[in-house]
Amino acid sequence: MTLADNSIALHEVRKTFGDNLVVPGITAEIDGGKFTVILGPSGCGKSTLLNMIAGLESVTSGTIRIGAREVQDLAPKERGCAMVFQNYALYPHMTVRNNIGYALKVAGVPKRERCERIKASAESVGLHGLLDRRPSELSGGQRQRVAVARAIVREPSVLLYDEPLSNLDAKLRQGMRMELTRLHERIGATSVFVTHDQVEAMTLADRIMLLNNGEIEQYAAPSDLYENPATTFVATFIGAPAMNLLNAEGDGSGIRLPNGTLLATMPFRGPVTLGIRPESIEIVPDGIPCRNVYSEDLGSHSIIVAEVADGQKLHVATPLCRRMTPGETFSVRFVEDAARLFDPTSGKRLQST
Amino acid sequence: MVEDTRGIDRTALVILIVGIAFILAPIVIAFLTATLSYEEFVSAGGIGLNVGSSFLDNMRRIFVETQLPGQLWNSFVISILVAGIKCTFAFTATFALVFYDCRWSRIIFALTIATVMLPLELVVITTYQVVANVAMPLNWLIRITGLAWLSERIFGTMPDFNLSLLDTYIGVALPIATSSTSVFIYRQFFLSLPKDLPRAAAMDGASPCRFMVDVLLPLSWTPLVATFMFWFIGGWTQYLWPLVAAATPDAQPAVVGLAKLANAEPDDIPDVPLLMAGALFVSFIPVVLIGVMQRQIVRGLNLSEK
Repeated sequence: MTLADNSIALHEVRKTFGDNLVVPGITAEIDGGKFTVILGPSGCGKSTLLNMIAGLESVTSGTIRIGAREVQDLAPKERGCAMVFQNYALYPHMTVRNNIGYALKVAGVPKRERCERIKASAESVGLHGLLDRRPSELSGGQRQRVAVARAIVREPSVLLYDEPLSNLDAKLRQGMRMELTRLHERIGATSVFVTHDQVEAMTLADRIMLLNNGEIEQYAAPSDLYENPATTFVATFIGAPAMNLLNAEGDGSGIRLPNGTLLATMPFRGPVTLGIRPESIEIVPDGIPCRNVYSEDLGSHSIIVAEVADGQKLHVATPLCRRMTPGETFSVRFVEDAARLFDPTSGKRLQST
Repeated sequence: MVEDTRGIDRTALVILIVGIAFILAPIVIAFLTATLSYEEFVSAGGIGLNVGSSFLDNMRRIFVETQLPGQLWNSFVISILVAGIKCTFAFTATFALVFYDCRWSRIIFALTIATVMLPLELVVITTYQVVANVAMPLNWLIRITGLAWLSERIFGTMPDFNLSLLDTYIGVALPIATSSTSVFIYRQFFLSLPKDLPRAAAMDGASPCRFMVDVLLPLSWTPLVATFMFWFIGGWTQYLWPLVAAATPDAQPAVVGLAKLANAEPDDIPDVPLLMAGALFVSFIPVVLIGVMQRQIVRGLNLSEK
């Protein structure tokens, strides 16, 4: 079986709940064997999309193909998908062993084979010696491991994750991220991971599908999403703090603030939104004058919130732990090949940059 | 918070003691009366607080002179049927209503609520008619569709089916069981379960029925046992409907038999000591059941418990 066999192809997939249009029509290809993250704010339709792939939610119109098969009308168990749920959804009355093995039991796998596969699956997620416990006797992280083991025991071609890490604390989350990446490399199933957390998306994904109001804003590799956001929505959604967006005006040779301050030398004419990442701003002795409003010292770097001449806010990340008092003035320079221009009305990126 | 609760404690204690005395007094009087012989009772001129020595003799007479032992068995079967039917139907109906969205589920839920609003006592006459001939709706259907007329033309007779369930266990139990109170209890419990549970089972390839048997049933065991006990005792203490539906003493449950005992000979002073012994005899099983299952009942109705 080649990896391309379990790619997922969505064609004009639509979903309506009554009169409520949740997913207006998505066409996209999810690469086989890759880790794809569906990212978006709450209510953007990302979980609905995942449920439609899983078969837990019907498709209003459109087709979903896994490999060469059209699956949108098949029952969940016929699609070869497994799913890890946000609240684990373990069977409370069953032991870890029976939780993991339930799918095999339903499928009628003989007991001996079942035992071996349960053991192998539990070991691959580090659940050694916990097989006879009940879910209520496990910690959050362990429960999540059981949920993952339960999903991979059937050796699915597609592994779906519905915000599985959002119930864990920050430290555990980072450990689980690492383990999920390793697991993915080992089993090679197509993984689709839904989250609203951009850090999870950036660290886990081979490719991120960023959704907004049920439509794809951008579908690209994490670094691409970060460096070359297709819209101002992507620019502000990815990165903490987000990309700075300044309303400015191009005069043909440079981008200037309304009061005439030169921000960047770019050959553009007309009103424009200039986007610049906080870490692409340098503090220099002579440049764009700013006034410090607030600063946060994070140890490794500081975030300075500054105001430019016409009162627009600017986040500056500086590696120097420079202390600044509120009201202090200083100058900054934009790293020019990091500046991005957006259309101020549509929010779309201008291709010339 | 440190607060002097001694005053409150003492008041609460007094209220509780008064309450217990209020509830226990009739039982104590019943027991005392059951220890008297008929002669002692009559000479005492009514119910008092005298203690006699004829308790065992009265109990023996219950077994020898009355039909209560057999009727106790009737009560037992009817109560098991009532509780079993109620729990089974409420469980499966609630399962469908909570976990599966259907266009009609609101209407179905409203209809199940309606059965709570319509207690059996209110519709006892119509229920009697139906139980006296359960084929009645079929006859009505045949008549209204014109099949009856057709049959009269062809065979010369009107079809008239007749099947009476009066004086049978199922005939007594079924109308009592048609009440959906447990649907509310199960519904609350099902809603407290993780929402993703049926979805996880679907991903694991389990059919809805498999999910119900493998996952939902074991999880619902405590509320099921608690409600079963409730409806068992509810069935045991039913009076009006069994009185109507079971005409022969052989089919009557013990509570009805006990009442019949009271006005067996309208002209005599009733044998109150025997009646009281009978009452204790009849309530013995429910009391033992509650005593044994107390913990289960409390746990089952404490719905947050997993």
